[in-house]
Amino acid sequence: MIWKQTAGAASAFAVLTCAMLVGVATASAASPIRFGVQAPITGPYADEGQGIEKAVRLLAEQQNAKGGLLGRQIEVTVCDDEGKPSQAAICARQLVNAKVVAVIGSYTSGAALAAEPIYAAADVLQTSDGTSNKLSEQGFKTWFGNAAPNSAEAEFTANYLVNVRAFKRIAVLTDHSSFATGLADEVIKNIAAVHGNVVEKAFVNADSQNFTPVLTKLKSLNPDVLYYSGYFSDGGLIRAQMQQLGMDAAFVGGDANQNVSFAKIAGAAAGGSVIVNVPAPQDLPYPAAKQFVADYKAKYGALPPSVFTLTNADGMRAILEAIEATKGTEPAALENHLHHLVDFQGLTGTFAWNERGERTGSPFVAFEVQADGAYKILYPEPAK
Amino acid sequence: MGTFIQQVFNGLTVGGIYALIALGYTMVYGVMRLINFAHGDLCILGAFVGLTLLTGAAGSGHSGAVLLLAAFVLAVVVIAAAGVVLELVAYRPLRKADRLSAVVSALGASLLIENSIMLIWGPDVHVFPGDLLPATTWTVAGASITFVQVMIILASVLLMAALYLFIHHTRFGTAIRATAIDQDTARLMGIKVNRVILTVFVIGPALGAIGGLFVGIYYREAYFTMGWTYGLYAFIAAILGGIGNIPGAMLGGVLLGLFNAFAAGYISSSWQDAITFALLIAILLVRPTGLLGEPDAGKV
Repeated sequence: MIWKQTAGAASAFAVLTCAMLVGVATASAASPIRFGVQAPITGPYADEGQGIEKAVRLLAEQQNAKGGLLGRQIEVTVCDDEGKPSQAAICARQLVNAKVVAVIGSYTSGAALAAEPIYAAADVLQTSDGTSNKLSEQGFKTWFGNAAPNSAEAEFTANYLVNVRAFKRIAVLTDHSSFATGLADEVIKNIAAVHGNVVEKAFVNADSQNFTPVLTKLKSLNPDVLYYSGYFSDGGLIRAQMQQLGMDAAFVGGDANQNVSFAKIAGAAAGGSVIVNVPAPQDLPYPAAKQFVADYKAKYGALPPSVFTLTNADGMRAILEAIEATKGTEPAALENHLHHLVDFQGLTGTFAWNERGERTGSPFVAFEVQADGAYKILYPEPAK
Repeated sequence: MGTFIQQVFNGLTVGGIYALIALGYTMVYGVMRLINFAHGDLCILGAFVGLTLLTGAAGSGHSGAVLLLAAFVLAVVVIAAAGVVLELVAYRPLRKADRLSAVVSALGASLLIENSIMLIWGPDVHVFPGDLLPATTWTVAGASITFVQVMIILASVLLMAALYLFIHHTRFGTAIRATAIDQDTARLMGIKVNRVILTVFVIGPALGAIGGLFVGIYYREAYFTMGWTYGLYAFIAAILGGIGNIPGAMLGGVLLGLFNAFAAGYISSSWQDAITFALLIAILLVRPTGLLGEPDAGKV
């Protein structure tokens, strides 16, 4: 995946208004259960932050319509951290003071990291799409990352190539960028872990266009699949030149190949290429995800901004389920339940959490580029 | 065996393109002792001009061959005109200045053209239509050779042969060679040196525009920074063959393409460029004036 950047340091004008928006509280005998949202509602990541807030409000509204949680209504409290660590710490204290059970957010790793020790000290659950390794390395029991860790793509790819498609002779091709070589090396490591066979790791010079020499070499090694970890502009051309050389190996590309230009550049050779990436929200294959995206669109008139809206929704859905299962909001019981989830059916795929709060089970899919440039998900197989 | 023949064709196709572009460097150097760093960008400008015609005329009902011919004619005319403007604006006023000024002017012209392409066409990758030429592929001893490859190799050979005949067997060609040897003496002999130089700035960019458009048709993509990559390779091809020497540029381009294919195919794809350029250094150590260059004999 293309890493999200942590937000920069607070700027001079960071005098903040933290909008405390309190959700619709229906009068109820029992006191409400409060959920917090800490997200960049303004600033460069506003789109993503507002997506998280909308998703949480939608889930709360749906739960309340079903009679609430343990017979109590859910209230949502939102704090705008602007994606900045300094503001994130202020938000964390405000939400702790508002007596929330759990906090959804933040979008950036930096903001999540700044708030993390405050939630841990107050025993408030935190679920965020932050993927920085530091978030899970601190060992806080309250941390539940809802996006797949950075290594997930390589693990998924290796499993797809070796176990799902049963390729016997895998050629790995990369450019010299740190992103692409890093991904290629991880994929090779993971292929070895599942006892796959890499026949060759080869390089192209990005933008050099003339890939036929390398491809001719690879063709002579007779691979049954070529995996390319670089970017779409070269990936599309590699696909076209494979066809030109009469190379009949399958093509599987890393996430940076997903771009509308890939199919245009590959031309007649585009159809049948496979790309591994996290799907856009509307392309998620699971029925629950389709329902959620439809509900979201009906309520807000637009699609969720990215798949991270849905991974955060997954974090909240798991916590809702934990509260129902443990019949209470006792933090230790909830943490224990969440650390021992078995195959939770998320909107972004089946997942669980390890004891460090890292998500296991990735939202990655392998999709096939169609002749017209559209995508068709091949694996995991879409539910009917 | 099939792999070897395939690598030869891989090398020849791209080598032919390098050679066409290298001719522009070498001709200008021959008559002016100037490295025209803007040449690579002019070539890619040719690709963009051709692309604009091809995409603009898509669906007009003309056949692919007619459209391509029109694209080549338009690219050649526009880029030859751009070459003339470049000479008049960026180089002629500096004819009597020291060499460094002209080189800096050339670098400036390169940046100007590259950024103009970005501003006019945008920074994205542009894709050429894929259905202009037949997708015929021949299999020769296990190697796949496409129609486009054959067309590029044949057209490069024909253009280079025509240029060779023009330079060596016409009166104007003789004037160009005379100007290359000694501008002042040529002027005394009644040769209009400025007209000769302008002609060189028509022929070089025109061949370059064809090379640039070949790049676009072969790889089916163009983007604004491509001129630097191709300019660099073609420049090296010109040096390899002996800068200032026309058959040398042809030989250098083809050899560079073949070196690159064999380095990637038989030694190491990650060291492909390093190996290619190490070979270049080795050749220049043995023959400092390039393969066909002769010491101090100003030639075109």
